[in-house]
Amino acid sequence: MQDQTTTKLPGETASITDDIPNGNQDSEAVKNTRTQTTIGICAIIFAVFTYFVAIPYGVSTPSNVSNIVLSPLFWPNIIAGLTGLVGLGLILTAKTKIMTITQNEPPFNFYASGGWQRLGIFAVLLIIYMASISRLGIVWSSMLAFISLALIIKTNHKITALIVAVLMPLALYAFFAHVAGIALPQGLFVRLP
Amino acid sequence: MKIKMIGAFCALLSVTVSAPLMAAEYPDRPVNMVIPYGAGGATDISARTIAEPLTKAVGQPLVMVNKKGAGGAIGSVAVQNAKKDGYTLLFARVGSHSVSPAMKATLPYTLEDFRFVGVYEINPVACAVKADSDIKSMADLVSKVKAKPGTVSYSSSGVGSMLHLAGAMVLKEFGIEKPLEAAVHIPKKGGGAAAAAVLKGTATFICTNSSALASFVKNKQLRPIMVTTAKPIVGFDAPTSVDLGKPNLQQLVGWTGVAGPKGMSDEIAKKWGGYLKEATSNEEFVKKMEARGSIIRLMEPQESQDFINGQYKIFRALVDELGMRIKG
Amino acid sequence: MDFLGDAFLQNIMAGFALVANVESIAALGIGVTVGVIAGAIPGMSATMAVALTLPFTFSMTPITGILLLLGVYKGGIFGGSIPAILIKTPGTPASSATVLDGHPMAEKGQAGKALGMALWSSCTADLISNLSLIMFAGWLASFALSFGPPEFFTLILFSLTIIAGVSGGSLLLGFLSAAMGLLLATIGLDLVYGTGRFSFNDTNLMGGLNFIAVLIGLFAIPEILTMVWDPSPKTEKRTKLGDNWVTFKEYKSCFKSIIRGSFIGVFLGSIPGIGAAPSAFLSYSEARRKSPNKENFGKGEIEGVAASEAGNNGVAGATLIPLLALGIPGDVITAIIIGAFMIHGLQPGPLMFVTNGDIIYGLFMGMIISSIFLFFVGSVAIRAFRFVADIPRSLLFPTILILCVYGCYAVNNSIFDVGVMFVIGWIGFVMLRYNIPAAPFLIAFILGPLLEDNFRQAMLMSGSSASILVRGPITWFFWTLTIITVVAIIRAGIKNSKTTAIE
Repeated sequence: MQDQTTTKLPGETASITDDIPNGNQDSEAVKNTRTQTTIGICAIIFAVFTYFVAIPYGVSTPSNVSNIVLSPLFWPNIIAGLTGLVGLGLILTAKTKIMTITQNEPPFNFYASGGWQRLGIFAVLLIIYMASISRLGIVWSSMLAFISLALIIKTNHKITALIVAVLMPLALYAFFAHVAGIALPQGLFVRLP
Repeated sequence: MKIKMIGAFCALLSVTVSAPLMAAEYPDRPVNMVIPYGAGGATDISARTIAEPLTKAVGQPLVMVNKKGAGGAIGSVAVQNAKKDGYTLLFARVGSHSVSPAMKATLPYTLEDFRFVGVYEINPVACAVKADSDIKSMADLVSKVKAKPGTVSYSSSGVGSMLHLAGAMVLKEFGIEKPLEAAVHIPKKGGGAAAAAVLKGTATFICTNSSALASFVKNKQLRPIMVTTAKPIVGFDAPTSVDLGKPNLQQLVGWTGVAGPKGMSDEIAKKWGGYLKEATSNEEFVKKMEARGSIIRLMEPQESQDFINGQYKIFRALVDELGMRIKG
Repeated sequence: MDFLGDAFLQNIMAGFALVANVESIAALGIGVTVGVIAGAIPGMSATMAVALTLPFTFSMTPITGILLLLGVYKGGIFGGSIPAILIKTPGTPASSATVLDGHPMAEKGQAGKALGMALWSSCTADLISNLSLIMFAGWLASFALSFGPPEFFTLILFSLTIIAGVSGGSLLLGFLSAAMGLLLATIGLDLVYGTGRFSFNDTNLMGGLNFIAVLIGLFAIPEILTMVWDPSPKTEKRTKLGDNWVTFKEYKSCFKSIIRGSFIGVFLGSIPGIGAAPSAFLSYSEARRKSPNKENFGKGEIEGVAASEAGNNGVAGATLIPLLALGIPGDVITAIIIGAFMIHGLQPGPLMFVTNGDIIYGLFMGMIISSIFLFFVGSVAIRAFRFVADIPRSLLFPTILILCVYGCYAVNNSIFDVGVMFVIGWIGFVMLRYNIPAAPFLIAFILGPLLEDNFRQAMLMSGSSASILVRGPITWFFWTLTIITVVAIIRAGIKNSKTTAIE
C-alpha cells in the first residue's frame, strides 16, 4: 500500500498546487484523497526521521537512568511513534472515507498569481528584519519592515502607509519603553530617549 | 524614492537624539539590569525592591529586563556577551552563579566570565516536612532514610537549582553516604510548586529559602526541622546547623548580587559598590526585605567574589563526589 | 472553615467597610482599565501587566494594592479576547480558544456581536468564579491538596481529549497537529536529568520555546502570510463591527455553556498549576459536544466564544482559592500576588482567615465589585477598539506584523523569540494551507509537558511502579471519564464516516 502510493508521490504533489480549480464534486474528493495521502506520507517520513536521526542526535541521556520510563528519550520516542501511526492512519483512511477531511473551509485560494515570489520576498524580508533589530534598533527596522510589507501586498493607501509606518513604531516604542518599562533594542546608530 | 525620504527622516532624527551620547561621566543614560528569572520569582521581587533605592543612588533610570529560562542561564549569557561599558548588569543568584556552574558541564559560562560588584542579600535556608509527618527532627529524617532507602523524597524547583543540591548536601552532611540513591529527588517546576509538593505529600521534605516557607510554617502547615544559619531564624522553631554540629551547612545559603561582564572597568565596579552601599542603607528597603525573610548584608566587590567562589568550590566538590554533574 | 453564620456576616460587613472607600474603588477601576489595555496588546500578557504593576502597590495599603493587582489580572484576561476576535491574535494565552469562533465571526461582520458576547460571558463567569471563591474556598482547597502527580496525570490525559473537539473536519489531521505540538514542547532541558533535548547546546533552546512566541506565530503570522500569498481585494474579508450587537436572546441561548464553562474554570483554577488556556479549551470542546449546532463550531458560532471566555474568566477568581486557603500560588500571576501579600507582612494560608479575616472578606467584596467594573470598562474598550475593524487590510497587516514583533520581543526581551515566532508562523501557514487545524497543536504544546512531567514525577514517587496511576478515587474518576470520552469520539467518528459514505 505504502509503496504503491510512494511511487505516485511526485505527480500528486504537483497536482495539489498546479491544478486549475474545479467545481466538480468528484475531482474535489479525489484531490482530498491525494492530499491526505501525501500528508500521511510526509508524517511517516517525519516520524522515521525523528526516531532514527533527530532523537538519537538531539536528545542526550545520562548513563545512569534507572528505568526506561524515566529516560529523557521515552516521551520523544512515544511522540515519534504516534506521528507515524497517525500518518499510517491518514494513508489507510484516505480512500475508505473514514475520518477523511469532511470540510474544506476556509477556502484557501491556491492559485494566486505571483504568490510564490511574494512569499519568497517576504521570507527574505523577515530574515533581514530579525537581523536588523539588534543593529538598527527595533524602531527603525520596524519602520522599514512596515513599508516593505505594505509594498509587497500592494497597498492602495501609500501615503497613509508611510505615515503609519513612521508613527506606529515610535508610538509602540514610547509605550513599551516608557509606560511598561521594557528595554527595547536600541541599535548601534541612533539611540532614542 | 520612499527609502530616501525615510533615510532623510532618520538622519534628521539622529541629529536630534544622538547628541547626548557625547557626555562623559558614567552613567549618563539608563542602565539595563538583567533579571535571569521570570516575573514574580524571588530574584525578580528582590531586584525590583532594590531598584527603587538603587535608582536614586545611580541617578539614572534602571530598566529591569527579565530574561528567564534554562535555570537563569539565558539571562546570564546575555550579560556575559554584553558590552563591558557598565550599561548592562545582571542580578546574579545562587542558582545561576554557584549551583548551576557546579552542576552543569554544558553551561556556556563560568564564574570567571563575570565581575561581581556586590552581594546584597542573603537568604537563610531551612528544611521542613509536612506538619503531620512522623518526622520531628533531622535525626528522625536521617534514621528513616537509613532504615528504608528509597522511600524518602525531597522536592526541588528543578535540576540544578539550589534546592536540588541542598537536599543532597544536607543528607550527606548527616552521614548518608549515597544520598542520591537513598533519597528520591522529585523536581518540580518552580519554588512554589516544590513547597506545595511537600504540603500535598508528594515529597517528604524540602530544603529551601526560609522566605519561601515562612507562611507555611506560620500557618502550621509545614514543620521546620533545621535552619542552616548559625543564628536561629525568627518564626522558625528549629535547631540551627551549628546546634546540630554540622557547621559546614552554613555555606548553604541563598544570595542575590549584582554582576557585570568580565572586563568591566575598575572604576565602574567601584561606583557600583558605592551605589549598593547607599541603596542597602535605605531603611525602607531593609524593612521590606526583612519582612520577606531576607537578611540584608552588603559585601564589598572583592568579598563578594571570594564568597561566591568559596560556595562554588564546596558545591563543586560535593557534586563531583556524588556524581551529580550533568554532562549531556 | 465555617463560612456561614453570624461570623460570616460580620466578616462580610467588616470587609465591605474596608473596601467602601475611594482609594479601593479607584484602584479596582484603574486596575481593570490597565489590564484590559495590556491584555489587548499581543505579547503584553496579563502576567506581565501584573508584574509591572506590583512595584506601585508597595506604598499602598494592603487591600488597595492587592485589589489593584486583581483588577489588572481580571482586566487582562478579558482584554486578550479583543485582538483574538479582531485580528486573530490572542492578546494573552488564555484567549487562544476565543480565536476559534471569535475571528470567523469577525470575518462574517459580526465582530461587535462576538466582542459583546465575550464581555457578557466574561463578566458572568467572573461573578460565578468570585462567588465560588467566597462560598467553596475551604472545600475546593482541600480538594486541590489531594492532587498529586498521579491525579494530575489522569486529569491532563483526560484534557487531551479536547483535541478531538477542536480538530475541525478531520480527527487524524488534528492528531497530527497535536503530535507536532507535543514534539516541539519537548525542546529544552530534561526535567529529571537536566540534560538537553533538541537543544544542541544552544542556550536559547535550552530554555525551550516561548509559549507566547508559539501562540502568536501559530495564529497571527499565517494570516499575514496568507495576505502576502494572495493580496487581491476580491478575497477581502469583511470585518465591520457594525451595529451588530449581542442580544439578550443570544446570551440566554448560550447561558448553559457559560455556566458550564464557569464551573470548569472554577474547578481547574482551584487546582494549582493548570491555568486559564486549557480551561478555555475544555469549556469550548464541552460546549461543542453538547451543542445541536456542532457543525457550526469553528466557523463563527457565538456559543463557542461564550464558552471559551467563560472558561478562562472562570479561572480568575478561583486561582485565589489555593492562594488564600493554602498559601499555594496556582500560577505565575498569583505568585506575584503572594509577593504583594508578603511585602505587607501578610501570610496567606488558613491562619489568615483568623488573623486578617477582614482583609480576606474585603478582597471578596472588592472582587465582586471588580466584575461590575469589568463590564463597564469592557464596554468602553470594545467601542474604543471598533475602529480596528475598519482599517484597510493592506494597512492592518503590516501593523499586526510590527505589533507582534514588539510584543513577542517584550515577553522575554529576546530576539530569539521573534525568530521562533516567524518559524512557527511558516509552519502554521503550511498547516492552514492543508487544513491541518492549529488548535490541537497549541493544546498539545501546553498539556504535553504537564503530562510528561507529572507522569515522571509519579514514577519517581513510586519507584517506577505503574500502580500509582490508579492510586485513588480521583484517578479512577478521570480514567473512567477518559475512557468514556474516547469511546464516544470513536463512535462519533464511525457514525460520521457512515453518513459520509451514504452521501
